[in-house]
Amino acid sequence: MIDLIVFLTLLALGYIFGRIAETRHFKSIVQREAELADVLAFSERLPPPSDEPRRIALVGGNVVISVDYFKMIAAGLRSIFGGRVRAFESLTERARREALLRMKQEARNLGAQMVVNVKLETASISKGNKGQVGAVEVYAYGTALIASPP
Amino acid sequence: MTEYENRPVPEGINYSRENPLKEFLLLCTALLGALAVLLFALSLAAQKLAPLIPFTMESRLVAQFASSLPARAASERAVHAEAYLNQLAAGLLAERDLPEGLELKLFYSDSPMINAFATLGGRVYVMDGLLREMDSENALAMVVAHELAHILNRDPIVAMGRSVTVSLALASLSGLGNTGAADWLIQQLGMATISGFTREQERAADAMALEMLQAHYGNVQGAERIFTLLDGQRSEPPALFSTHPLSRQRIGAVREFAQQHPQRGEVVPLPDFLGEKVE
Repeated sequence: MIDLIVFLTLLALGYIFGRIAETRHFKSIVQREAELADVLAFSERLPPPSDEPRRIALVGGNVVISVDYFKMIAAGLRSIFGGRVRAFESLTERARREALLRMKQEARNLGAQMVVNVKLETASISKGNKGQVGAVEVYAYGTALIASPP
Repeated sequence: MTEYENRPVPEGINYSRENPLKEFLLLCTALLGALAVLLFALSLAAQKLAPLIPFTMESRLVAQFASSLPARAASERAVHAEAYLNQLAAGLLAERDLPEGLELKLFYSDSPMINAFATLGGRVYVMDGLLREMDSENALAMVVAHELAHILNRDPIVAMGRSVTVSLALASLSGLGNTGAADWLIQQLGMATISGFTREQERAADAMALEMLQAHYGNVQGAERIFTLLDGQRSEPPALFSTHPLSRQRIGAVREFAQQHPQRGEVVPLPDFLGEKVE
């Protein structure tokens, strides 16, 4: 009986706080994306040709987002029936966009207007540890093009 | 010159904006439904197969459960009561063909509870509390006949078969989940599935018992006694949650039977020694 109460409490806590965190995070992401819209990011390998002198620098943004208990159980249920794991889709979406935003922020701090050759790396933290709430890491990095004053 | 542009990220393609609770509840329902169907199928299969176990095998099985059965009373009253009960049972079964290998044994237990039960190996236990509440042999015969009917219908082995199959299935299933909660839930489900005889089994036993009484005494007088006793004794759970049919329904069934069959003869009194106080 105690086990069930603990389980349901964790589930409810996971759902409530996970949902609040996710809603807030998406709101913040959308807002900052608008703010950083002038820093362009592309997967194009080569910078656009230009006659102006410029410096280049490696910029990157890294984020780790934890799975909450509710998402873990929901995904576990999904793994029985198969199909889109919606619980994790929103998580990875948040992680990707947040990592890109952090990368753009670094680029802006350097005075760059454009980042090319953007790549994303992802890793799962506590992968394979059974019964442990995992977390997803996304690292976004690219080559920032900084206009240098003559 | 190439135009470089970053469009705003389109929302709602990579992830769903639907409330995750909806999906969660749907999946939970599907899982529980699948589990329920599986358990029901297994329990049904066990129910159909268990009566094929021979009585001799059943008797050997019961030896392993002997420690959980009531201890035998050694008093003079117990010896008398057991002899009387076995004689009563023999009378009730006189006109029936008993299945091969069946060994019926009736036991007296000195518990003050108003109860009697049938269990594996053709054993019937009658509690002292019940004997003291009976006002005639016919009333007692109804209880004894009901328990004998359970045994003739193989209800104890069916109940055990069901319980063993379901708990085995649950034990193997619980390997799926690794949280304590899953185990707890599964245990509860198992308990709900295996608790005792079903209402259908009880109803069948009642009907068979009435036939035995009619054959033995020529009437079913006193058969209501046990049910009026149960009716007055405890508040009954709603019919849905009770394994036994409601006492009132059972009384109704007795009266209906009495109307459909000719009622001859008188009520037989209980032997005197049953009413004696125990020092």
